[in-house]
Amino acid sequence: MPTASDPTDLLAEALDADGGAFVELRYHAKRSRSLAVEKGRVDQAKVAEHTGVGVRVLEQGTWGFASTDHLEVDAVRRSIEAARQAASASAAARSVRIEALPPTQLARGRFDEPGYEELEATPIEERLDLVLRVEDQARGSSGKIQSATCVYSEIFEEKGIVTSDGAKAWTRLVRPEFRMSAVAQEGSEIQRGARSVGATGAWDCLFARASAEEMALEAAQMAVDLLSAEYPEGGRRKVLLSPAIVGLLTHEAIGHTVEADFVAAGSCAAGKLGQRVASELVTLVDSGESAHSPGAGGRIAVDDEGVPAGRCVIIRNGILESYLHDRESAAAFGVVPTGNARAWEYDDEPLIRMRNTHIEPGESSFEELVARIDDGLILDGPRNGQADANGEFMFGTLQAWPVRGGKRGPLLRGVNISGIAFDVLKTVDGVGREFLWDLGAGHCGKGQPAKVDAGGPWLSCEVIVGGRTQ
Amino acid sequence: MMDATRESTNFDPAVNEQTLRGHASRLVESAHAAGAEEAEAYCVRGQMVAVRFEKGDLKLTTVDEGATLGLRAFRERRTGFASSNQEGEAALERMAGDAAGLARFSPPDDANVLPAPRPAEPGPGIHESLLGLSIGEAVEHGRQLVARTVAIDPRLSLDQASLNLSLFSSAVASSTGTAASSSDASVSMSVFGMAIDGDDVGGFDYWGDLARDRADLEARSAACSERFARAALGNLGAGKAETYRGPVLFAPAAFQDVFISPLVSAASAIAVQRGRSALAGKLGESVAAEALEIVDDPGDRRLYGACAFDREGIATGRYPIVEAGVLRGYLYNAYAAAVEGIPSTGHGRGGPRSVPGLGAHALCVAPGSGGDARALANTLGRGLVVQRFSGTVDPASGDFSGVAKSARWVEPGSDERPVRETLFSGNAFELLGRILALSSESEVVMGGARVPWALIDGVSVTAG
Repeated sequence: MPTASDPTDLLAEALDADGGAFVELRYHAKRSRSLAVEKGRVDQAKVAEHTGVGVRVLEQGTWGFASTDHLEVDAVRRSIEAARQAASASAAARSVRIEALPPTQLARGRFDEPGYEELEATPIEERLDLVLRVEDQARGSSGKIQSATCVYSEIFEEKGIVTSDGAKAWTRLVRPEFRMSAVAQEGSEIQRGARSVGATGAWDCLFARASAEEMALEAAQMAVDLLSAEYPEGGRRKVLLSPAIVGLLTHEAIGHTVEADFVAAGSCAAGKLGQRVASELVTLVDSGESAHSPGAGGRIAVDDEGVPAGRCVIIRNGILESYLHDRESAAAFGVVPTGNARAWEYDDEPLIRMRNTHIEPGESSFEELVARIDDGLILDGPRNGQADANGEFMFGTLQAWPVRGGKRGPLLRGVNISGIAFDVLKTVDGVGREFLWDLGAGHCGKGQPAKVDAGGPWLSCEVIVGGRTQ
Repeated sequence: MMDATRESTNFDPAVNEQTLRGHASRLVESAHAAGAEEAEAYCVRGQMVAVRFEKGDLKLTTVDEGATLGLRAFRERRTGFASSNQEGEAALERMAGDAAGLARFSPPDDANVLPAPRPAEPGPGIHESLLGLSIGEAVEHGRQLVARTVAIDPRLSLDQASLNLSLFSSAVASSTGTAASSSDASVSMSVFGMAIDGDDVGGFDYWGDLARDRADLEARSAACSERFARAALGNLGAGKAETYRGPVLFAPAAFQDVFISPLVSAASAIAVQRGRSALAGKLGESVAAEALEIVDDPGDRRLYGACAFDREGIATGRYPIVEAGVLRGYLYNAYAAAVEGIPSTGHGRGGPRSVPGLGAHALCVAPGSGGDARALANTLGRGLVVQRFSGTVDPASGDFSGVAKSARWVEPGSDERPVRETLFSGNAFELLGRILALSSESEVVMGGARVPWALIDGVSVTAG
């Protein structure tokens, strides 16, 4: 349960008696409400809580981690001891000992994001009414719709972070998410349409671009329209990527390769600082803030090591400028931490993760970008994405439109696209001016989930398209 | 809290099961007191030692223990669910109030009922040898996994490796009389990385496995290292494939992801009932080539999903899904079974943090007669070999598209060579009818399923 008072006071008390090496305490209360409706039936109406204190200790140059589900001084102290013993038990297996973490700017105080109280005060039955209503609207919008699913969730998070070298931060935030999908059938042909959105904040952020009703109808229409759509032609193609697909590109294809743990393991970004890795039109940023538009789904003020989660320019005008760091990797690389250490729940240790990753907007309108394409595709509707350490990526898209002679053609089925990330960024020859966060629904996976967001403007570049007409 | 200096963990399966049975009964009673007419509680308590390596060096050792409780309440055929990791009296009461309260708001559904009890036979039980594994020994086994892997070839770069000792108990109780509990112990391991040779950074690969007996640990670990190293080293020097439409050879992991998993998902009775399954109305009909046999075998202890009872406490058993290419059965949990007025097939799935889902436990795809992987490559002659799949399969239509990872190109008279930037696509449900051959042995894929290699015709391949 969320605390009525500052949890960092109790953590500081638990730490007071400790005279050992570096200790990091993280109280994390996570309470979620989620509703799932399919075909008028409530599949899930649930509340869940997962609350406790994670303890990380640096002992003998080695990390140890333990946790407790009790926010009590004695329980936290027992966890500190267990983490210390885990570190000691494994120190002999560590060949390179970690020096003491260098001093850095650490957060102190209270850092609340807007929307927590507003959503907490809203009865869940109001949410259920909405989910039932829009699912019904989507299902009733066409005789071809066989099934519709609507999922709404809210994650309320409260954290208290205290470290033995000075962090003492208390944060609260809420992340609502709305997902709609519909299945249409005609004969033996089955197609799916989907829309989703996730935000940090209240509903003014979540539904800023489209209402729940509009998204439900759009998902249903997409499914129906895809029934009669053809497959695009495969091969290396000129494409115009929507902000959501640009988000996938920045997150999956670039962002993961510049996480310092991946860099140290030999990702394709290793050794490329200061080198040109993209067209000069590309400036790529990861930030705990919500640039250009409010409510980005990966918003955090302080990371899970107590470091302020500021703005990190990864690529500036095509030149690789920075990796993403936690405190340990920053020390190893001789730079300051970028506030990218994040843990999913109290019993998870912090890992280097992205927050909100985007390409800065340019100057072209959408229409201007389309007009410049002689033969290519417009791609929208992210499905999923993965990338390799060598920068090879794969994204699924739900929709595609052909462009010939600067004119947009009829809807085609979605495709998977692939390429080598930095090679693709070097082909960027147009950047739109409209900006959108569009990847706030769902999670990034890296051993643990993480809520992130990504986006940007429309982007003109070349990728490999997996078609079906050979 | 687990004591890191102990000779072994202090996990006691009998005590844990007794505690969890108590929690489950208490939750059901509290739900009734809060206004529920029926209730079901599923509780899990466990201990874990996780040893994680980065860049070949030990990164972090975690010792952890805790419980998670889940409660489903029914009221006038309406349902609500609550879960918590707090075991105190107040938390149990709060869960009961939340679950019963939520049940007031949902629309009624006649299928919102609990299953009649179907007790499970006692399982093989926990293997005592793993209870004696100390934290220091777990660290040492992890260190050996890493050392053995990187010793295979200096070009191997291990991004991450892990070894997890997991000890847990679970219990289910319901107001219809279901009462079941069990305990399990396992060590899972994984390695993830790539090979680097100068400027040539090979595509990443990973592998993992599972041991439920300490005596198997060494062999599983060695096999895991060897399998990873072979794939990662083979990715060096990757070139271009060729664009074509025709036969492709799928390694077990890729065959499972692209074809088997979508087919089994489509055999979900809920997917069929709700109009999003391509297998609707096809019971008893051919859905694949005759060579394909799929059975769910929860008794196979080599697989993660082995279990004596499902998420709803119903006894599990060997269940044929596809025989000689013919669809033999849909999968039912209690809800899906109630929709059709039949008994559950014991396919309730999931943990205590959500309502029971629906799915298979331990899939086993029978081998064929195509020989080993090399023989199948010879049969392919010229074309693509896919070891892993990075892409999407639409569960409703079966359309798939993605990148061939750790892919190889074979042609007569030449050694196989690695290829990258190669996409492939097709429709899983259509192409299952075009299986040309299955290998003569199945392999355990990441400890999750037994699957053979498959040579399948009609796949669209796009070379970058």
